[in-house]
Amino acid sequence: MKPIRIALTKGRLENKTIELLERLGYDCTNARKKGRKLIMPIGNGEIEVVLAKAADVVTYVETGVCDMGVVGKDTIMEKGGTFYEVADLGFGKCRFALAVLKGKDLYEGYHTLTIASKYVNVAKAFFEQKNMDVDIVKIEGSVELAPVLGLADAIVDIVETGTTLKENGLVVAEEVCPVSARLIVNIASMKLRKQEIEELIDKIEKDIKKRKAKEA
Amino acid sequence: MRYYDKITPDGTKDLLFGECDQRSQVTKTLKDLFTAQGYRRVMTPALEFYDVFGRAAKYLPKETMYKLTDHKGRLMVLCPDCTVPVARLTATRLKGMPMPLRLFYNHNIYRMFPELKGKSAEINQVGIELIGGERLRSDLEVVELAARSLDLIGGGKYRLELCHIGYFKAIMNSLDVDEELKEEIRYQIEQKNYASLTDILGEYKDSKAARALLKLPRLFGGAEVFEKAYELFDENGAKESLDYLKGVYEYLQELGLGNKVIIDLGLVNLAEYYTGIIFRGYFQGIGEQVLSGGRYDMLLKEFGEDQCSIGFGINVDMASQKVKPMPESIPEVLVFAPDMQYMAKAVCHRRELESQGILTENCVFDTMEEAFDYAKMRGIPKVHLVGEDITICLTKKN
Repeated sequence: MKPIRIALTKGRLENKTIELLERLGYDCTNARKKGRKLIMPIGNGEIEVVLAKAADVVTYVETGVCDMGVVGKDTIMEKGGTFYEVADLGFGKCRFALAVLKGKDLYEGYHTLTIASKYVNVAKAFFEQKNMDVDIVKIEGSVELAPVLGLADAIVDIVETGTTLKENGLVVAEEVCPVSARLIVNIASMKLRKQEIEELIDKIEKDIKKRKAKEA
Repeated sequence: MRYYDKITPDGTKDLLFGECDQRSQVTKTLKDLFTAQGYRRVMTPALEFYDVFGRAAKYLPKETMYKLTDHKGRLMVLCPDCTVPVARLTATRLKGMPMPLRLFYNHNIYRMFPELKGKSAEINQVGIELIGGERLRSDLEVVELAARSLDLIGGGKYRLELCHIGYFKAIMNSLDVDEELKEEIRYQIEQKNYASLTDILGEYKDSKAARALLKLPRLFGGAEVFEKAYELFDENGAKESLDYLKGVYEYLQELGLGNKVIIDLGLVNLAEYYTGIIFRGYFQGIGEQVLSGGRYDMLLKEFGEDQCSIGFGINVDMASQKVKPMPESIPEVLVFAPDMQYMAKAVCHRRELESQGILTENCVFDTMEEAFDYAKMRGIPKVHLVGEDITICLTKKN
C-alpha cells in the first residue's frame, strides 16, 4: 500500500503537526531527527511527511503529488486553489489585520489609499468587499516599514501579539479575519483513498475536540 | 518590445510523436465507443460569439474566457466549454428533429487559468450529450457510458462518483437564509470546509436543514451513505432525489461496478447549472477529475428549446497519461532510386510494399553513402535499391 503523503509547512506548523501526529500514536522519530531530509516516513510507514514552504504545500496538495497538507489559512486565502479544507487544527493562531500609524484616520480625505502588504490578494479582497479602490503595493518583508517610510497609508498583515506593530508606532485599525492552521486534502485522493483519509481526519478531529475541552 | 517568436503562449504546448499517439489512442477509443452506441459526431467552431456564453456566466466565469472581436467589433470568445455550443446547435440547426438526439464531440476548449499553476489553457475534450430522452433511462445510459469510458482508458483503475443535486437543493430550500449566505454555504460544502461550515451554520442549529448541511460534506462513500442521508433529511423532495440516485447506484452495482462507484452528496459545484444527477471520474495518480458530467435540463431552455439533456466530457490530455505510449514505429524499408529516371518506379514499389502492410520511407538523398548512413542512423533495417531491377540490401550494423 502506498503511504499517505502529507505536506507540512516548515517551521512552527511542522512542529505542532508532528506533536499532533505523536498524540495520535504515530512514531515520529524520523521527523524529529530529520537532519536535512525533506521527505521521510513516520509511524510504520503508513504516512510519509514532506516538508515544504507554506505556498508550496498548497501547490503539492492541489496537484495531487501530496494527498494532504497542513498550512495556514493566510496562505490559503492568499493563494487560493482547488482542494478540500477539512479541519481547523486550532494551532498557529493569529489574525489578518489592517494597521495604520497611531493617531491616523485612514478614511479622512478623498485620496485613493495606498496599502502595503505581503498578502496582496487578501488586501485586494478586503477592500473590494468594502467597494473601495485602493493601490496595493507588494512588500516582501517587514511590511511595517511602508507606512513609517511614507510609502503606504496602511498595511494588511498577519498580527500575532501586536508587539512588532507597537514598536513601529502602528495600531490595528480593523480586523480582517482570524487565521489558524488548516488540514487540506487533494480532491482525487479524498475519493480514491476515502477510508484511510477519513480515518485520519476523524482521529485528528477527536484530538482537536479533546484539546478544546481542556482549554475550556 | 520583446519578440515572442520562439515560445508558445502560457498554458499551451507542442505535442510530439508519442504524445500525439497517446492522445489519438484516447480519442479513437472513445469515438469508437460512442459511435457504436449510436452517437453522432458534431463539430462546432472554436470561435463563438460571447453572447452564446453570456447567459452561462453563472457557471462559466467571464474572467476565464479568451475574448477577441470580429471585423464588426462584436465580442467573441475562444470556446470555453463544449456543452453550451452543442445546446445552441440543438436549439437551432437541430430544431424539430425527432428526439432523442445522441451527439458526441471532440474539441479544444480554452480557459484562462491563473499564471504558473501548470494548468493548460487549451484542453482537448471528448464528450457526449443525450438530449430529449426519458430522464431515468437516459441517465442510466449515460452514466454507464461514463463508467465504460473510464474503464477502457484506465484499465479498471478508476472511481466514478455520483451525486443528485436535488438533495442539496431540497435542504437549501428549507433553510431560511438569504441568497448570499446560501452561496457561501454551498461554497464551503464544495470545499468540504467543515470548520467554516460549522461557524456559519452554528446559529441555525435547531433547524433540521442546517444540521443536515453540516453533515453534507461527509456524506460520501458506498451504499451506507443513503441510509445516513435519508435519516438526515427527507422532506421537500429530498427523499425523491435520494430514491432516484439510489436507483442509479443499484443499477451500476448490478453491472458489477462495485466499489468503483461512490456516492458524494457534497458534490455541489455548479449547483445552478445541474438539475439532476452529477458525476465525476477520477484516475489513480491524477489529482483532478478527468471526467465530469451531469443532467442540465435548463440549459436548452436558455436557447428557447424546452428539452432535457445529460452529458459528460473527458479531458483527453489527462486521460492520455493513463495510456501506455506505444513504441514508435520505425520504417522497415528505405526505398532509394540512385538514378532519377527510376523515381516513378520507386513510388510504385513503395505502394506495393505499403499494400503488404510494410512501412517504408522514400530516400531523399543523392548518394548511396548518405542513404545507408541515414538508414543506419534511423534504425531502418533494409534499403531497397530501385533501378532496372530491385536490389534488397541489409543495413549493416555498426
